[in-house]
Amino acid sequence: MMPDLDQHGHAETKEWTPDVKAPVVMLDRVSKQYGRINALNGVSLGISGGVTGILGMNGAGKSTLFKLLMGKLRASSGAVRLFGTDPWRNSAPYSRVGFVPEHEKLHDWMTAFDFVVTFARLYGLTRDEAKVEATRVLDFVDLKDVMHKKIGQYSKGMRQRVKIAHALVNDPDLIILDEPLQGCDPLARTTIMNVIKELGRMGRTVLVSSHILHEIERITEQIVILHRGRVVALGNSHAIREMLDQHPHKILLECNKPKDVAKSIMDIDEVTGLHFVSDGKLLIETRHLGVVHQQLPDIIVQNGHQVTGIDNPDDDLQSILRYLTGGF
Amino acid sequence: MSSKMDTIWSKLDRKATAISEFTMRQYRTRVSTWAIMIAAFLALFLMLLFYAEAMNSEVEAIDNDNDGLFNEDDFDWDNLGAYNSSVGFDDDGDCTNRTTVSQRDTNDNNIECDIKIVWNAISEEWVIEGDIGVDEDPDEEKYVKEAGHRAFILGIGKFGIVYLLGIFLPLFLATGLVREEMSSGTMHYMLAKPIARGEILLYRIIGYLGIVWPYIIVICTLLCVFTGLMGPGDGFFRWADIGVWMSIAWATMMVTLVYGMIFCTFGILWKNGVVLSIIFAVWELGMAFVALFSGGDSPIQHFSVIGWGLTIVDSGVAMAWADNNTLITMGLWGGGHENMDWWSGFSENEPLPGAEPLSAFTGNPGLGISNWLSFILSTLILIVQAAVTWFIGQAIFKGKEVD
Repeated sequence: MMPDLDQHGHAETKEWTPDVKAPVVMLDRVSKQYGRINALNGVSLGISGGVTGILGMNGAGKSTLFKLLMGKLRASSGAVRLFGTDPWRNSAPYSRVGFVPEHEKLHDWMTAFDFVVTFARLYGLTRDEAKVEATRVLDFVDLKDVMHKKIGQYSKGMRQRVKIAHALVNDPDLIILDEPLQGCDPLARTTIMNVIKELGRMGRTVLVSSHILHEIERITEQIVILHRGRVVALGNSHAIREMLDQHPHKILLECNKPKDVAKSIMDIDEVTGLHFVSDGKLLIETRHLGVVHQQLPDIIVQNGHQVTGIDNPDDDLQSILRYLTGGF
Repeated sequence: MSSKMDTIWSKLDRKATAISEFTMRQYRTRVSTWAIMIAAFLALFLMLLFYAEAMNSEVEAIDNDNDGLFNEDDFDWDNLGAYNSSVGFDDDGDCTNRTTVSQRDTNDNNIECDIKIVWNAISEEWVIEGDIGVDEDPDEEKYVKEAGHRAFILGIGKFGIVYLLGIFLPLFLATGLVREEMSSGTMHYMLAKPIARGEILLYRIIGYLGIVWPYIIVICTLLCVFTGLMGPGDGFFRWADIGVWMSIAWATMMVTLVYGMIFCTFGILWKNGVVLSIIFAVWELGMAFVALFSGGDSPIQHFSVIGWGLTIVDSGVAMAWADNNTLITMGLWGGGHENMDWWSGFSENEPLPGAEPLSAFTGNPGLGISNWLSFILSTLILIVQAAVTWFIGQAIFKGKEVD
């Protein structure tokens, strides 16, 4: 409650020291209800170091989780801790945190430089220190050349990078990015992914949320999957992949004679089912996606089938979640 | 970091000035800020046109005593300090030329050709009895211009500036100070920093004052210069008015501080906080009328912000225009010519034009203490009101989930 009279970037308690034994981010059976809706349901997590991907569909609770960590929401039950401190009661831990919110809204009337300098000073930096740091982080996200232009003139990818720069200006130990890749063009996407990977290599704790599995896989192997407010899977992405391989996968072939193709494909042992979905479409079911994909091209060429498209309708998060949760 | 520079300024020149500067720049980029300020400016200067016209028009002299002469015996009054005093001078000799003592001392106070003024503590008014022929034909033009000038300053100052400007600036500028950031989502950037929410509220208000206070000072200075040059008087400028304008500006600054804090808190409390602000503004309007028409000493007005703001002006006026109550009293007496009120059947003194408006807009500080003390006390009470509102506001803000 008390103002930080020394203005050195530790609100509430001037002598705030992080608990070094506690994990950077810790949630203990955290639930959050909005009226009768359970946004989060008994989530327990402990994260320290490295890049962690938080995967989930829209409404899975990713943003709620981050808002709890950023002290914007109060947990209905359970404990939320940043560096061992409850962020709802004390904003002091944010001196070591950088947050990139999901929404696009920025102060369009400011230049990127002014924006980063202004918010750097809220960490307790002086005017001069803030200018030095702002130039450093804007260079880090490749915006140094255009940093004196108004944010309103920026493209979506550039705006996203301004937000990331502003979150890095205090050289934080924990960086939280809510859907940082959403709506970005491929170039900006690559730049941002590299920035995140670089932060992970620098030993920072990074939390990135996304609803696209392969995006997260390109950044990190450490994944948490949220579904309807619960943690449904947690760990290395390869382990999650292997777990998924226990479940039937689907491959969709577009061809002119589906029945002929089906006859040839039946020879592959790993195929467990064949369905004629609609005119010119054949759905293959298998438990070993890799094996089928390996053999499929040869069979098609040998038998002279005309195939116009191959698609894995399963390779999205929704299907994975369906497997993980048993369709519930 | 802390050892590098440890002056008070280098301490403050971090979060506090960052948010205040940011807030001021944000205001400057908004069209709405300029729209409200220009609209208020135009409205006030439109009133100034009416004033300028009144000051430049001729006032017809009245032969108050029907002797065929005009304005031949003007007021010769000193300031009414004591409870019992003798004022007046018979300029035209129609009293001193009378033959007997009893004719020259018709008010029986043993002073020839004077005006007896006694304070009636029960009815709380001056009882005035003049010897016949003393100050009986005052100069209307001189009186009307002086009283009209003061009535204009007090009317536009107390109602137009302290109340209307004092409530509309915060209504438009402060209600969304925190709320707009909350609903647009840009508040996330501020909340994700090691800063208490109470600090954000405080520094945002300071930024708002950084825009509103200079504006009030500029408006009052301009009006002071214009009316000081155009107003009646022997010198080229009415220096005594500066004190009155300073107290008007100071009262408006204090009132915009409290209203700003209250309206901003309403905005935090509810997304349609402007509704609460308008209801509150109506209450304050009622209190402004109570304070104006009670003559400044109604106890009810103290349950408001504006009541204390107007007390600041009343104290300032009592200090800067020490002769103001004398001016009102002589104008209401108007030479002592009674008129029969056909409705009530009582005889009443015919006031000089301008005396009644000046009387209506003048108030007594009403606190029963010296003018300086009521000035300081009212200021302190307004600051306490702002501080208490800040405390409540930050408590509400702290408990608020920002989605």
